[in-house]
Amino acid sequence: MITLHGVSKTYNEGRPNEVTALRGIDLAIAPGVTVLMGPSGSGKTTLLSLVGCMARPTTGRITLAGEVISSLPERFLTDLRRRRFGFVFQRFNLIRGLSVLENVVLPAAPLGAPRAEVEARALSRLEALGLAGKARMPVEVLSGGETQRAAIARALVNDAPVLIADEPTANLDTALAHRFLDIVAGLRAEGKTVILTSHDPRIISAAPVTAVVELRDGAILQVRS
Amino acid sequence: MSLRPATPVLAAFGALLALAGGEAAHAVLTAPREAARLQAEARLVRDLGLTDLALFTEARYTRHPSLADLATAFQDNPLSFDHFPSGSLIAPPEHFGPTALSFSAGDLR
Amino acid sequence: MTALNRHRALLDFTVAALARRRVKTLALVAVFAAVVFLLASAMFFAASLRREAEATLAGAPDLIVQSLSLGRQTMIGAEAVPQLAAIRGVTGVEGRLWGYFYDRINGANYTVMVPDTAAMMPPPGQVILGEAVPRLRDFKWQGTPLFLSRREGDLVRFDIARTLGTETALLSADLILMNEADFRSFFNVPAGQFTDLAVSVRNPRELSTVVAKATIRLPEARFVTRADIARTYQKLFDWREGVMVALAFVALLAFAIFAADKASGLSAEEAREIGILKAIGWDTRDVIAMKLWEGGLISGGAFLLGTVLAYAHVFWAGAPLFAPLLKGWAVIYPEFRLTPAIDALQLGTLFLLTTLPYAAATVVPVWRSAAADPDAVMR
Repeated sequence: MITLHGVSKTYNEGRPNEVTALRGIDLAIAPGVTVLMGPSGSGKTTLLSLVGCMARPTTGRITLAGEVISSLPERFLTDLRRRRFGFVFQRFNLIRGLSVLENVVLPAAPLGAPRAEVEARALSRLEALGLAGKARMPVEVLSGGETQRAAIARALVNDAPVLIADEPTANLDTALAHRFLDIVAGLRAEGKTVILTSHDPRIISAAPVTAVVELRDGAILQVRS
Repeated sequence: MSLRPATPVLAAFGALLALAGGEAAHAVLTAPREAARLQAEARLVRDLGLTDLALFTEARYTRHPSLADLATAFQDNPLSFDHFPSGSLIAPPEHFGPTALSFSAGDLR
Repeated sequence: MTALNRHRALLDFTVAALARRRVKTLALVAVFAAVVFLLASAMFFAASLRREAEATLAGAPDLIVQSLSLGRQTMIGAEAVPQLAAIRGVTGVEGRLWGYFYDRINGANYTVMVPDTAAMMPPPGQVILGEAVPRLRDFKWQGTPLFLSRREGDLVRFDIARTLGTETALLSADLILMNEADFRSFFNVPAGQFTDLAVSVRNPRELSTVVAKATIRLPEARFVTRADIARTYQKLFDWREGVMVALAFVALLAFAIFAADKASGLSAEEAREIGILKAIGWDTRDVIAMKLWEGGLISGGAFLLGTVLAYAHVFWAGAPLFAPLLKGWAVIYPEFRLTPAIDALQLGTLFLLTTLPYAAATVVPVWRSAAADPDAVMR
C-alpha cells in the first residue's frame, strides 16, 4: 500500500522557468493494477517518479507500507528504489551495444548478488516473457514488442514488488498492447503492484486494471476502482 | 553461466602481472652475477686507472668527458658530423681520405 | 563478498561497454602504452648506466693532474711528480700515458693506454685489445696481428696478447693497451713526459686540502677529483635522459590533451546511458566506481604493458632502440649488457603521471551527469 498526503511537486523552484507539476495530491494505491490517466502535462509522469522514489515531493508526505519515504536521505532512497521498484520507461531505455541478458542484469550490479544467481533469475524472467532465445543478442535486433519485454524483464530482475511503467503501450500496436496486458495480468496474479500511466482507452477498460486515477493540471479529477 | 565480459581482460592483466613478476625474478636472480661483473669492471678501473665509460667514442670530450679540456670541444675526426652549427659553415680539410661515414671531403663541396 | 560481487559486476559492465568500441579502445591502450614504454625505457636505461658508472668509477684515481697550455691539455713533465709527492697525505704519484688513435681504415677512435699495473702490462710488441677493436677490424682468426698506420705508408705491427671480454665492454670497448716503450715510440713521446698524473691520497677527506696545496705548487695545472668524475656522469645521464623525458613529456602532453578531449566531451549518448543507469537503481557512487574501473583498466593496463615491454627492451634485448641514438656519429659502440636497476621513485612517479590524469579525465566529466536526478530520463 502506497499513500500520498498533500503531495505537490514544483520544478526549478524560484527560477523564472518554475513549473508546478502536481498540487495537493491525496491518494492511496492498493496492490493490483493502477492506471494514471490524463492528457500530457497533467502530471502523470511526475506522480510516477515521486511514487518510484526517483524524485522527492516539494511538500507533502509519501508512505510505503506505513513507512514515510519522502524524507529519506538520498542513499536510502536509492536503496529502496532498487529493491522495491522496477521501472519500464516509455522509450524503454535499454543500453545499446550490450546483449539482452547484459541489459537485464544491470539493476542487480550495485547490489552485489552472486552473478550466477542474478543470471539465473534474469534467464527465468526472460523465459517467462518468451525472450529466452534472444538473451545473447544485442538489443538493437529486437522488435518493438521484444524490446518492451526485455525492459520488463530488466525491471523485474531484482524481484521488486512494485512495477512502474510510463506509457507502456504508446509505441505498440493493438496485438502487442494485448500481449502487454496479459503480462500485467500475470504480474498481478504474482501479487505485484503495477502502476501505469496511459491515455489509451484499451488499457483503461482492460480486465486486470483495478483502479484508474484521472489527473488534470496536476490535480486529481477522479478515482475509479 | 556464460563467460563474463571482464574475464578475458582480467586474464590479460594476470598474464601481464605474471610477466612483471618474471622480470622481477630475473632482476633478483641475475643480481649476484651482475654484482660479480661490476666487481670485475671495478677491478679493471683500478688496474688501468680508467676515468670514463667507453660509451661515446666520437670525440675526446665525449670519450673522456670528465677529463675534457675546458675550452676545446673540437672534433677528433674532421669528417664526422659536427655537434655545433658552425660545422656546417666550414668545409673539412681536403687531404682526408674516406671515412666510416663513407663519403670523402670532395663529396661535401 | 557483496562488495567483491558488486565491483565484479561493475567491471563486467565497463568491459562490455568498452568492447562496443573495441578497435578504438585497443588503439588508445596501444598509444598510451607506447608513451609509457618510451619513458620507462629511458628511465631504466639511465638508471642502469648511472648505477654502472657509480659502482665502477668508484675505483678511479683519487686525483688527476693535467697540464694546461693555450686552453688545451698538454703533456705534463715528470718534474711535477716529486712536487706533488711532497704534499702531506699523498701516498703516491703515477705518471699516466694515454692518448687517442684515429683508425683510418674504419674511421674509429681508439683510446691507447699504458696500464698502471704490471699485471695488465703487455710484453713489448704486443697489445691487449678492448672488445670492439677486433670486432671492427673484422679479425676472424686467432693470432691475426693488429697493424696501425699513423700516416700514409706507415704500418706498425702489434701482436694481440689477449682481448678484454664483453662483460667490461662498457668501460673497455675501445681500449688498446700498450707497453710503455711501445707507446713512447709509437706516439713519439719523449721520456719524462706524461699525459697526466694520477695522485693517490691516504684519506679521501683530505683531498680538498691536498688540491689546495697542489694548486699553489702547480698554478697552471688542472685538478680533477674522483668526485668530479662521478658528478660528470650523474650530469651526463641526467642530460641525456632529460632529452628523452622532454620528448616523451611532449608526447604525454599531447596524449593528455587527447584523453581530456575524449573524456570531457562526454557524448550525449554516454550522458543518456548514465541517466539510464541512475534510473534503474545505480547511485552516484556506482557510476563513479564504474568509470574509475574504466580509467583504471585503460591507464593501468597501458602502464603495465609499457613497463613490462620497457624492461624486456632494456635488460633483455639490450636497448636496441637507444643504440643508434647513443652511438651518434661514433664508429665504436660497445656490446654491453645492462644490470637491472630500477628507481622505484621514478617508476612510482611514472605510474602516477600516467594513471592519475587519465582516471581524472574519465571520472570528472561524469560527475555532473552522475549526480543528476534519476528521474531526468523520464522527463
